Amino acid sequence: MIQYIDMHAVLQASISGVYADLVTRPTGRVVRERIERAIAGGRGGEGGTGEITVARMDFTGVGCIDYSCADEIVAKLLRDRPAVLVLSGITDGHREAIEPVLSGHGLAALIERADGTLESLGAAAAAAALLDELVARRLAARRPGGTYALTLA
Amino acid sequence: MTRLVEVPAQFDDRSFDQFAGAFAEARRDDERLLFDAHAADWASPYGLVGLLAAGQAARRPGSGAPAERPLLTAPTSPEVLSYWARAGFFREAAGLFEIHGKVPRVKAAEQSEVLLPVTPVRAAEDVHAVVSKIQQRASAILASELSLDPKATMGFAMALSEACQNIVEHAGTGGWVAVQAYNWRRKLARRVVVIAVADAGVGFRHSLEPTQNKRFGDRWGDAAALEAALVQGVSRFRDPGRGQGLAGIRRYLQRWTGKIAIRSGTARIAIVPQWDDDVPLKEGLPPFPGAQVSIIIPEQGSAER
Repeated sequence: MIQYIDMHAVLQASISGVYADLVTRPTGRVVRERIERAIAGGRGGEGGTGEITVARMDFTGVGCIDYSCADEIVAKLLRDRPAVLVLSGITDGHREAIEPVLSGHGLAALIERADGTLESLGAAAAAAALLDELVARRLAARRPGGTYALTLA
Repeated sequence: MTRLVEVPAQFDDRSFDQFAGAFAEARRDDERLLFDAHAADWASPYGLVGLLAAGQAARRPGSGAPAERPLLTAPTSPEVLSYWARAGFFREAAGLFEIHGKVPRVKAAEQSEVLLPVTPVRAAEDVHAVVSKIQQRASAILASELSLDPKATMGFAMALSEACQNIVEHAGTGGWVAVQAYNWRRKLARRVVVIAVADAGVGFRHSLEPTQNKRFGDRWGDAAALEAALVQGVSRFRDPGRGQGLAGIRRYLQRWTGKIAIRSGTARIAIVPQWDDDVPLKEGLPPFPGAQVSIIIPEQGSAER
């Protein structure tokens, strides 16, 4: 199962006001905790199935994400549990914040482009392992031309 | 008795040490301070937020009474007064100083050169407000006046966010941020955007001391703390993900040939681009509380990328 996370909606539910930016550690912490609860709920509680979490995080509508928030949300979700994060609705600006944070920790996530193909973000070795994991679980498949895409898109 | 602290006529990062020296000298005997800015004819955003930090530090706790505010004589030049008002200085200064002199009733500007008037930063929510506002204001100016790629706007907001978060996470008190665009004749003869952030909090050395003191041994001090934070990406938190903020700012500035300088305590560190002749590290400066950050992004084109 792939968990869908609407990052803009989570942000709106996490902070007061009308802000669309994922900035500051405290905001990142609150957003991550909500995502963790959603993931735990999707797996049937903290006991869960013991399977690796696969979450599709949609950044559409999110303005800016800073390095602190990128670390607090994306990197910590990956550091604290075995997970595959597929990021969609990502802009170059989002990428600029997330990529160095992941690379710095030897972590990786996948970006789902508008055409459905997957692109790795972060440490190369970790990204290759993610793709292998998705393919092994038949959540992604290789397309003609060597690209990968989610099978449940 | 009142001690006088003269505000330099040209008040910016270069003359700040002169100001800090006068401030440190005047504070010695714990008298009330008078900041004399009557002869000021120009102040950079760094000067304005630095003056507010001095005002914050100069409040003297009364015996059971509210803290006694320092005095400030406002600039006498109508143009300077108007500019300081438009830059949002007096709005913040009113709560920190007993101001003498006629202060114009001008709203903090929403005009071209003032991208963000002097704005208080005390909590994460303030950073959200600053980032939201700067994206609305800065995008067109960064692209049209500095010839930055429109994509650079988000990086600019990130850098601003991280600079402000240093106050929230490390200062132990509030501070201020201001962002302006202007022609920088002194160094570049071209347009620049300047982010200035200042607080009168605990400073980098105090913030990092519990985790870094032993590592540096005899070298430990303000300069070592700044080096640890800016160059080595060290944070006071043991969380391995910390220290991303200043590292991210450095990456952004490297890409756009920008400059960052941080002054804290008795030291100042800078990442110096080719167009500048500043020194990377200065020690033994007059002590000044908290931290003061200057980020400069030049108009692109003749600067090397």
